[in-house]
Amino acid sequence: MKTVQGSSAIRIVAWVAALAGCASEPTAVPPPPPAAVVTVATVPVPANYGIHDTYVRDGIAFVCVWNTGVQIYDVGNGMRGGSPSNPVLITTFVPNSDDVPGGPQVHNAWWFHNPALHESRYLFLGQEGPGNIGFSSAGDLHVLDVSDLANPREVSVYSMAGAGVHNFWMDEPAARLYAAYYNGGVVAFDVSGTLPADLSSRVIATAMPGGPSATYVWGVQLADGALWAVDMLSGFWKLDPVTLGTLGGGNNVPDRYGSDLWVAADYGYTGTWGGVGRTGVRGDAIKVWRVSGVGDPALVDSVIFTAINTVSDLQVSDDGAFLAATAEGQTNGGLYLLSLANPAKPVVVSTTLVDRGLHTGTIATIGGRQFVFGAKNPPNPALMIFDVTGVVPSSATGPRSSAAR
Amino acid sequence: MKELCGALALAGALVVAGRSAAAQVQARVMAQGILVGIRADPTPERRPITEVRLSQPTAMGVASWRNLTAILTLDFEGLTIPGGELTAGAWGEGFIDRRHPHTYVHEALLGAVKWWGAGRTASGVAAFAGKGFVPFGSDDPMSRPTERYPVNHHWSQILERAVVIGQVRYRWAVIEAALFNGDEPERPEDWPRISGRFGDSWSLRGTVDPLEGLEVSGSVASVESPENRPGAGSTQQKTHVGVRYESRVKDRYAMAEWARTSEFDGFFVFKSVLAEAGWRPGRNRIYYRFERTDRPEEERLNPFRSLRPHLENSIFGITRWTLHTAGYGYSVGRGSARFEPFAEATVGRVDPHGAGLFSIVDTYGKSSVTSVSLGVRLGWNVAGHRMGRYGVALPVGHGQGHHH
Repeated sequence: MKTVQGSSAIRIVAWVAALAGCASEPTAVPPPPPAAVVTVATVPVPANYGIHDTYVRDGIAFVCVWNTGVQIYDVGNGMRGGSPSNPVLITTFVPNSDDVPGGPQVHNAWWFHNPALHESRYLFLGQEGPGNIGFSSAGDLHVLDVSDLANPREVSVYSMAGAGVHNFWMDEPAARLYAAYYNGGVVAFDVSGTLPADLSSRVIATAMPGGPSATYVWGVQLADGALWAVDMLSGFWKLDPVTLGTLGGGNNVPDRYGSDLWVAADYGYTGTWGGVGRTGVRGDAIKVWRVSGVGDPALVDSVIFTAINTVSDLQVSDDGAFLAATAEGQTNGGLYLLSLANPAKPVVVSTTLVDRGLHTGTIATIGGRQFVFGAKNPPNPALMIFDVTGVVPSSATGPRSSAAR
Repeated sequence: MKELCGALALAGALVVAGRSAAAQVQARVMAQGILVGIRADPTPERRPITEVRLSQPTAMGVASWRNLTAILTLDFEGLTIPGGELTAGAWGEGFIDRRHPHTYVHEALLGAVKWWGAGRTASGVAAFAGKGFVPFGSDDPMSRPTERYPVNHHWSQILERAVVIGQVRYRWAVIEAALFNGDEPERPEDWPRISGRFGDSWSLRGTVDPLEGLEVSGSVASVESPENRPGAGSTQQKTHVGVRYESRVKDRYAMAEWARTSEFDGFFVFKSVLAEAGWRPGRNRIYYRFERTDRPEEERLNPFRSLRPHLENSIFGITRWTLHTAGYGYSVGRGSARFEPFAEATVGRVDPHGAGLFSIVDTYGKSSVTSVSLGVRLGWNVAGHRMGRYGVALPVGHGQGHHH
């Protein structure tokens, strides 16, 4: 267990260690010093409330801006000449509120690339309505037809009585959408072919990992043949991706409430949430799990941060070199990059503090460079795009991310 | 500070106007403050805290000329309690378990009042515009017996808004309607958001006062996004019913109220019941308040500050505060001056109301609530002043703009 109070000293130590390591091989040329995180764009959005999540693919960014709707940007696709340093807005679409109190409340997105039909027609949107965290929630799953990115159309919706949707994951070859549904658990949908107006008929499995009284699922991810889920209340679960039956895990994070997750190769990383403390402890930790093999994920390490309330998002880079974590609450919110040179022992190598913190961060590779699309919190919410290329050099030992996002 | 300068300019204008028409102007200037030492146990620091503060330092003026009335109240709590006043259960405007400081300009209103008739059969109409209290709920706690603010302050009053009020009184029945901005201030220097927010909220209050000193009122209001100034938050649907009695010589007072606020079409509902009474035999003053009020629990950035603006529409549970507050004061003032040493104590408990992640024991260490206050009320010319009602909504003869 480590405590992180800032990256500068760690970076210096890592750099000196790297130099020392190289010094043992006199013929080697010292590697260049790590690059710094560079903010290449800050795109303000209406303070309504602000951005909750961003999905980036093919140079298109789907920015989920609550009641402002989903904003679609060209950030390198070419259709409007945009780039990460110069995002060009293609359109803004406001989905129906579907009678959910609070309005459209666009929270998260997944742009489905259907390999069977060779089409990228559907955009799934999560609507985060009001909730009593841990117990109740509201909000529907909306589907847009984005065949024409400049003119989206809402074509389908799914509403679960008494629960609201949160984060998604997809098994695209199987045309299966997994949705975390807070107190509704996990729901798997068949999204093959043309979708009906009501997705209820496409529900293929549901699960309440923590049971009816202790389930509040934040997120899911398909990796290595299993569906992984973080339940804010009952911990880190391994589920069967077809039946959603429990394969392992659960009731394994009693000290904090859970938040986001990312699984890459043999390791899983789960965040913690601390809007309120659990037994007085805030969400200041990333839990590191060994997930290889059958059976329960095994906790192998924790990274502890100072002066944050919540680790709000996690993602491992495609090359497996680093874990990007965003944090919010208190004074040390922002973007943290952790080296996965030893994936069982992530080490913070870069800290970019952002006033009021980042609600989410999404890694995207565009034009050969790596960027993190961050959601800067109110009162001055903005899409912040960070160039993180070279900050954490690629490592042969790092866990390659098993799924694109 | 710009706001304060504007208010001082208004005060100056009132003085100039008063001098130019001295024979016709009626003016009343008031001031008050409470030097108070408070010991509260528990607190969200899980330990008792004792502190001394100057609370409610205000200067008030009411001037009337012909049918016109100007009201100005300056509140200096932003200077004396910038971190709030230790008050278990209090919440709002980014503070929690500390009562927030009010804005420097508490009220700045201009109004026109027209009366017909006299005495208890008088009727009248009035219109007010400016910054001040919305016609909803009960009087401001500042002008009520207890020093401690009630937990239900944000359920039973709507204040410091840019407001336009219309009033009609027919004998003993009054109807008031108002348009205003829904946003609450978050800092003492905040000004109501006019652009984009004024008129997004409304209220109606009906009052009957068939017997001298007795008022029965009912209010409804729709308040747009009070806790998110840009407007992203929930609309509050508010209801309030109250009964108030004050004797002719103002030595006896009683008030009871019930309030309900619904957010997100009933997804969250918060209720409050409060009853209080005061008696002033001679120089002595005794008083008592009971309240049972629901409070939303939200993310705290430190033990006494909650996250503003919010990031979304969730809460972490509801707590219910059941509190008894009693106090005694002895006035040694003469004439218009008031100098009243007092002692006040609160006992009660906080309980969860329904499910929620918020843990009372984790936060406070226990669920019982005790608080003791010792202090001195300082006042000049404040006797009988009511804060939160204007024009013809005040009982006939109250003096605010009532001329014949």
